[in-house]
Amino acid sequence: MTGFPTASFAALLPVAVLTLGAIVLLLSEVFLVSGKRAYQSALTVAFAAAAAATALLGPRPGPVFEGQAAQDGFAVFVTVIVCAGLALSALVGAAWLGARSSERGEFYALATFAAAGMVLLSMATDLLVAFISIEVMSISTYALAAYLRRGLRPSEAAFKYLVLGAVSSALFVYGSAFLYGASGSTLFSKISAGHGSPLYLVGMGMVLSGVAFKVAAVPFHAWTPDVYEGAPTPVTAFMAAGVKAAAFALLVRLFLAAETGVNARVAAFGGLVSALAVLTMLAGNLLALPQRSVKRMLAYSSIAHAGYLLIGVVSAAVAGARAESVASLLFYLAVYSATAIGAFAVVGVLERRSDGDKEGAQAFDLARFAGLARRRPLLALSMAVFLLSLAGVPPTAGFFAKLYLFRAAVGAGFEVLALVGVLTSALGAYYYLRVILYMYMRPPEVEGEVLSAPSLGVALTAAVLVVLVLGVAAEPLVRLAAAAGGLG
Amino acid sequence: MNLLTLVIFLPLLGAVALALLPRDEVGQHKVLALCVSLATFAASLGLWAGFQSTPGAPEFQFVHQAPWLPSLGIGYHVGLDGVALLLLLLTTVLTPVVILSAWNAVTERVKEFLLSILVLETAMIGTFAALDLVLFYVFWEAMLVPMYLLIGIWGSQNRLYATVKFFVYTFAASVLMLLAILYLYFHDGNSFDYIKAREALDVTPEAARWLFLAFAVAFAVKVPMFPLHTWLPDAHTEAPTAGSVILAGVLLKMGTFGFFRYALPLFPEAALSYRWAIAVLAVIGILYGAMMSFVQTDMKRLVAYSSVSHLGFVMLGLAALSAEALTGSVYQMLNHGISTGALFLLVGLLYERRHTRRIEDYGGLAKRTPLIAAVFLVVTLSSIGLPGTNGFVGEFLILSGTWLSRLHAPAALAALAAVGVILGAVYMLLLVERLFLGPIRHEENRGLADLSVREGFVLAPMIALILVMGLLPQPFLRPVKPAVDRLVQRFQAAETKLGGEKQVGTVPPAIARAAAPAQAGREGE
Repeated sequence: MTGFPTASFAALLPVAVLTLGAIVLLLSEVFLVSGKRAYQSALTVAFAAAAAATALLGPRPGPVFEGQAAQDGFAVFVTVIVCAGLALSALVGAAWLGARSSERGEFYALATFAAAGMVLLSMATDLLVAFISIEVMSISTYALAAYLRRGLRPSEAAFKYLVLGAVSSALFVYGSAFLYGASGSTLFSKISAGHGSPLYLVGMGMVLSGVAFKVAAVPFHAWTPDVYEGAPTPVTAFMAAGVKAAAFALLVRLFLAAETGVNARVAAFGGLVSALAVLTMLAGNLLALPQRSVKRMLAYSSIAHAGYLLIGVVSAAVAGARAESVASLLFYLAVYSATAIGAFAVVGVLERRSDGDKEGAQAFDLARFAGLARRRPLLALSMAVFLLSLAGVPPTAGFFAKLYLFRAAVGAGFEVLALVGVLTSALGAYYYLRVILYMYMRPPEVEGEVLSAPSLGVALTAAVLVVLVLGVAAEPLVRLAAAAGGLG
Repeated sequence: MNLLTLVIFLPLLGAVALALLPRDEVGQHKVLALCVSLATFAASLGLWAGFQSTPGAPEFQFVHQAPWLPSLGIGYHVGLDGVALLLLLLTTVLTPVVILSAWNAVTERVKEFLLSILVLETAMIGTFAALDLVLFYVFWEAMLVPMYLLIGIWGSQNRLYATVKFFVYTFAASVLMLLAILYLYFHDGNSFDYIKAREALDVTPEAARWLFLAFAVAFAVKVPMFPLHTWLPDAHTEAPTAGSVILAGVLLKMGTFGFFRYALPLFPEAALSYRWAIAVLAVIGILYGAMMSFVQTDMKRLVAYSSVSHLGFVMLGLAALSAEALTGSVYQMLNHGISTGALFLLVGLLYERRHTRRIEDYGGLAKRTPLIAAVFLVVTLSSIGLPGTNGFVGEFLILSGTWLSRLHAPAALAALAAVGVILGAVYMLLLVERLFLGPIRHEENRGLADLSVREGFVLAPMIALILVMGLLPQPFLRPVKPAVDRLVQRFQAAETKLGGEKQVGTVPPAIARAAAPAQAGREGE
């Protein structure tokens, strides 16, 4: 057969592996013989590893399907982040769900489907492909958020997520129509042809708003705290790592396409995204300050980190600083994913297991962390490592991620954005440190049952190692990110 | 293996080894930590012996350079000049002293305590030795976490408030420095290396002023300079004895060292435009710290405020920018580390015996604890700068160097600072009187034990240093001279570049001018 796009389909192999994995996991539930499910999380990890390996070893032809998607270093890097996030979340999920006797194949299948959507999203260079990937990713995560149908809070979280997610999808697809009208194409590489027309402005504004929902940028962030807090903790961890990475991948590609050939300093969207970045950093950090629920605090912190990442997006628009900025953004995403999953995993360990509804936010209260250093020294130590990394204290990975990102911003001439970034991260030190204070300096207040499982130990060890090793020897990952920062 | 790198990481290796010991063997932990810190001290003596202070010797010695994060332009680059060498030695002396002093005082979570101290030692030594701006920043920030734990876990009643204040204050001030470091990278030929940055720095005068301020704020908080000092009384008072000694002895010197090594030489022109403000704030700090010390009822808080006063002298000497005053500042950094460190140790001894820090709970102790009283008196005399002790050398150099400097109104500044010396003598001697002299007013004080052998070993090095540095300052001044001369030269180059009248160095004293009118225009040394 002539003309069959073999190379294009070959580029989709990682997506195919994940989809296959999801189907296998679904079927495993059908053919389940005994009640033992440990192999399901192991299968998920195996498929995630296989997908990452196919992405790493497979061909990187660049643009495929006539420019509608691209399999390049950038996509591979995000794919590996997503797969690692999937594997770690599955391990955390196995322990967390096992303790609540609600471990089912569907959980892993949904997460793997979502990961397939995320991987596809990282490759998307066309509005329609992007929309399809967003929907694959989102619908799976809505279902995951509602996975544990016990009590009001999870339902509320899932419902909020569904409604607001639908609005963002609608914005995205409606904006895409405008963009098509303005430029006559849905390809990212061609939409900048519509520059100057009002249709283009409106369309791009709507599309970017839709993506801003997904990355949880202020003022499109209102769903995040409720959804992050209400969703089952392993799902929250997966959302913080995977959804964020994939959505930022889309944002970078879209924003760079929109800014192509335009001087960043005068382009309307550059200013708009800068403003979003400032607002997001300020609001995320300020709102995290008063939280007593650690899970909610981490949700606000994820908003704050989206703000820092937006700095990377803005500085990527400056031609001379593009590769550097994209590379720093990728590095930051990788570090944040590992750290956030680790932190949420510890929250999941300490979470009250019985009826989450009556307890409300109490389930994640700071008091549950009090005296943890005496009860579970290693657990407290890993949480401390994650929190210090989130705060950007050296020598942790989070410090170098911030250094890299802010360095790119200063190099691109955005000193003011970097200034807001460092000042707000100083605010962050306060609320992250407060958890450490409770863990190390206060006597235990609640005698809570503490989760303990081998799979959890594996996930936490892996996350701690990533954070610590990247804190002293970041060079290899920086090189990989720099190689992937060229975008194709 | 580079000796300096060994000294930096030996405590960290010790900490790793300590972490692997079984949790319940508290005795082993203490012995291991003490041995590691003593080994570090011994290795650092090798640095002192190998350091060349001759005029032709390289500025930085024991240099070790290795790639660390080359993609980002960050390297592992360490080396010592004379000032860093002395402060490093101060650190390695104080650490075993501190571990020994906490032998019985810390009974809970001993392993974590010793781990924190050893990790802290690596971070402190690394901060003095770093010659790469990012490496410096990493060590600088790495100090925060162990200190945060030391205050927060082993501190007294109000420790949580104090430790959060300490961390957030210093962290917030440091991030500005990080931004300035990033800015430097793009204006010095893309390097984080300190030596390259110093040579190749090319920024507008306005940018230089902002950069200087960013560095200066980070350092001023650590010093601490009035009005950024408010974290200090809380942190010093609430910290355990070991924490107070390290805070006062070494961590405060990070600020003044930062000025000496980074803020002043990197941006000399900007520093010249702000030196008057620094000098005025320093004098305010001297007087304010002294007056606050007067009214304290808590002896630890009194010593803490006296630190504000003493560090004001150091900052005044740095702002004076004459060779004499700069040398005095460096000397005073060491003095303050030893005398205030010793004061905190003594206060800690009393606290261990009586479990109160209120001055009025003591009185007449000299009869029961003559040795403690005698040591306390010697340390007090050093702290107030009595001739024959180390404090005299430093304060004299700073005051005379300031008087003869080319600051605005040098005589007034020096005179006001001298008032601070007098106030210092008054409140310190009053403290001695209220603690040790007079009748014993409280029955509990009758049964107090005098120095034990272990405590004698804790204090003996401090007393020895006070006397040796007071009577034989030369071995300690010699390594300082090349570093000070280089700094003065940088400033002379800067003032030549700026034009106008001379701003650094000293004016010849009036009496010399009268004696030799022909030489009136020449610069005095």
